[in-house]
Amino acid sequence: MLTILALASIVLLGIVPQQSEAIVIYTGWERHALVGSDIRLSCSFFSWRWTSEDVTFSWSYRPDGARDSISIFHYTGGAPYVDNKGPFRDRLEFVGNPARRDGSILLKNLDYGDNGTFTCDAKNPPDIVGRASSVRLLVFEKVPIQAGVITGAIIGAVLGLLVLIVVIYYLMRFLVARRVFNLSVSKHGRKGKGKEGSQQRQLWRPPPVTLLPLTS
Amino acid sequence: MLVLLAGIFLLHLASIILLLVATIDNAWWVTDTMSTDVWARWILNNGIWNHTDLPTGSTYPSDYLQAVQASAILACIFSILGLFVFVGQLFTLAKGQRFTFSGIFQLLACLCIMIAASIYTNIFHNDESSGQYGHCFILAWISFAFTFISSIIYFVLRKKTRD
Repeated sequence: MLTILALASIVLLGIVPQQSEAIVIYTGWERHALVGSDIRLSCSFFSWRWTSEDVTFSWSYRPDGARDSISIFHYTGGAPYVDNKGPFRDRLEFVGNPARRDGSILLKNLDYGDNGTFTCDAKNPPDIVGRASSVRLLVFEKVPIQAGVITGAIIGAVLGLLVLIVVIYYLMRFLVARRVFNLSVSKHGRKGKGKEGSQQRQLWRPPPVTLLPLTS
Repeated sequence: MLVLLAGIFLLHLASIILLLVATIDNAWWVTDTMSTDVWARWILNNGIWNHTDLPTGSTYPSDYLQAVQASAILACIFSILGLFVFVGQLFTLAKGQRFTFSGIFQLLACLCIMIAASIYTNIFHNDESSGQYGHCFILAWISFAFTFISSIIYFVLRKKTRD
């Protein structure tokens, strides 16, 4: 009975995902880079199927303001094919790991003409229905600081400093009060109550009630 | 005594309200068709006000702008915290002692809003042909005066017996 149940569940699991089969591709949304630097454009996908041997990745590039996109990278049949005629010849390198569903590429020595949209399309047969994902590349001379970073940093630093000062103030007060108390107790301890005095030196214990009227 | 206390409390409250209005409302610099503050800009186009971002570039250095934003927010925070500290000190302070903590918070708020307003006055809108400072800018300077007076009062005031 149990074996029949197990077999039925395996069969059902094999049949049901047919409807939810769609590959989901993840790239970044926007990437900022400095002129002359290198950038790694990451692309990975999620698929209900195991990664097949015929998995393919392809990257295409559309410059800012242009209408058409050109293909700059293709990985198929276990081998990567990089651009050797287009704008990225000798500047493109495949740094992904298709077995781990990673189809990232490395662009070297960026220039202002590389501003544009890069689209990654991955296919994991038989899981081929999916939407390609695009990442926008912006090349700057100097990387701009995002809005609000300095504001947040200043506010956080000042408030943190304030909290630190308050904590240190109360810590100093506590330590000074404790030292004063220990000194006054040791004076009383030497007069006659030797046992109590020696006990007080070992740990901080709450003061015994008899000492309170003497200190006020 | 109670009247004095109510007056001081109202002064502190007024300074908080002025600080909040100066930070939040949008009128640090106004012209006939444009109203701007440290966060964004409103432009009048064919009778409709449109909300736009502040311009970037050399006339609007973004690090100074963010310093003004941070200082204005810090002034509000310190003033509001100072109000709670004042109410707390009213009940916990021993007789004859001064309200130093509340005074310190108000002084910090005064310092922060002074930093914010001074940077704004010095750096922005230096060579604009038309326009003038709006009401929020003026309120920022007035709240500087209020917080300063308030902190002086806290430093001088002593807690007496309730009568």
